[in-house]
Amino acid sequence: MSGVPGSGLAKGLAVTLRTMTRRSTTRQYPDVEPDLPPRSRGVIALLEENCTVCMLCARECPDWCIYIDSHKEEVVVPGAARPRQRNVLDRFAIDFSLCMYCGICIEACPFDALFWSPEFEYAEYDIRELLHEKGRLGEWMPTVPAPPAHDPNGEPAKEEATAAKKAAQ
Amino acid sequence: MTAASEASRRHEVVVGTGSGLATSDMVLNIGPQHPSTHGVLRLRLVLDGELVVSAEPIIGYMHRGAEKLFEVRDYRQIIVLANRHDWLSAFSNELGVVLAVERLMGIEVPERAVWLRTALAELNRVLNHLMFLGSYPLEIGAITPVFYAFRERETLQAVMEEVSGGRMHYMFNRVGGLKEEVPAGWTRRAREAIDLVRRRLPDLDNLIRRNDIFLARTVGVGVLSAADAAAYGASGPVARASGLDFDLRRDEPYLAYGSLDVPVVTRTAGDCHSRFSCLLDQAYVSLDLAAQCLDRVDGLRGPVNVRLPKVVKAPEGHTYAWTENPLGINGYYLVSHGEKTPWRLKLRTASYANVQALATLLPGCLVPDLIAILGSMLFVVGDIDK
Repeated sequence: MSGVPGSGLAKGLAVTLRTMTRRSTTRQYPDVEPDLPPRSRGVIALLEENCTVCMLCARECPDWCIYIDSHKEEVVVPGAARPRQRNVLDRFAIDFSLCMYCGICIEACPFDALFWSPEFEYAEYDIRELLHEKGRLGEWMPTVPAPPAHDPNGEPAKEEATAAKKAAQ
Repeated sequence: MTAASEASRRHEVVVGTGSGLATSDMVLNIGPQHPSTHGVLRLRLVLDGELVVSAEPIIGYMHRGAEKLFEVRDYRQIIVLANRHDWLSAFSNELGVVLAVERLMGIEVPERAVWLRTALAELNRVLNHLMFLGSYPLEIGAITPVFYAFRERETLQAVMEEVSGGRMHYMFNRVGGLKEEVPAGWTRRAREAIDLVRRRLPDLDNLIRRNDIFLARTVGVGVLSAADAAAYGASGPVARASGLDFDLRRDEPYLAYGSLDVPVVTRTAGDCHSRFSCLLDQAYVSLDLAAQCLDRVDGLRGPVNVRLPKVVKAPEGHTYAWTENPLGINGYYLVSHGEKTPWRLKLRTASYANVQALATLLPGCLVPDLIAILGSMLFVVGDIDK
């Protein structure tokens, strides 16, 4: 046990005193934006042009919070025997009141249509407002940061490897 | 157990009938909504004045059916759910799932991934311990330590967020390795954060461990004997504070723990103070282990995951993967019928076993001691109810 009675208290007060002389660690949040890393999972952004309505994201989502509607359109290609069919996206919505922020949809997307953005200031007074339709999801796109470079000891990102292979050809 | 509950039922009948000088026992419910229960644990106490005659933890208010949900999720989706039963040790929870699946599938995880996983698991352990090191003094009236604990947590959390993008639910493990390579320079920044925390942790230590008021509240309070700890299946710091020298990282090494020298922190007193100081010393140990792992990671080259088939199916069979989670032993019993979802994934959680010991710890103590004991039993309600 501690020797002199009250020595534990004195030790603690010494810590307090020392801390008083240091700068505080308080972050002035609403005035100063936090510095978030690029991988931060804040909100999901949609690049509509890349979406082919393959539905993989909606199927892989663990709590099915992605809603997709589409229709087929015929595109007449000059020179082709028959007109080609093409999926057109009508609705793409993510319900952020259900989303668990796991990122599986982004991982599952084979056409790079979904991205994480570190933006987080989209709290609402009404829970229904958290259903972001494709327009709102698209607005997040400019906030998507470039991915960080990988550790040189590890393997480069898949995208980097394919780009290097293409450049070599 | 049944005799005790029958006895308490008998007491219930006489509540409020005490008149004159005759006193009767009172049945008091602590929780499910009570700040000292960290969520929704309910304790049914029979009190004789200030003295607790019997106590029964009533659980299940936060039951989310995780085990049943596992059966209809594929192995990547299970990681999302497994993250969440103990929200303070998310990384270790993921780890158990992927270890079980990898064992069934016979996947060899790249060495770089193994060491990175070990480093991250240890960082997660420090984060978990810092939470309890801050909240436990808070519960018994010391407000200051939580600020120091959270200052350190924030430092380490920045490191975890940089690598995984998440602050609590990391989602960084995948079957066969990790989600992706760590960012360039991350190991250096992680090591800097570890050094900073290691330098500042003595502040928290000096502030509270030997504080006279804290000692008065915790020394000799809530003594759990080693035999009781073993009988209830308690594990982790709670059991080690009672002298049960058992740590899976040393006794049945998984990941890279086999090639690390893991010092196991134990105490013999088994009271609230020894549980707290076990936790504090473990935080130092984990910081050292994490730093060692990061040094090894820097010496390794190569991938951090393996190429998986498009649909991950664990072959028919069963396996039990247990890990030393921050709060104790966490086990997953995986039974697969060769489909892309498990047939059954049984979850053994540390908090569930730890909280059962309350029924023997609480009788005989005073109501103010109850808060001290409850906080020192180190549980997360989500981990109890699953």
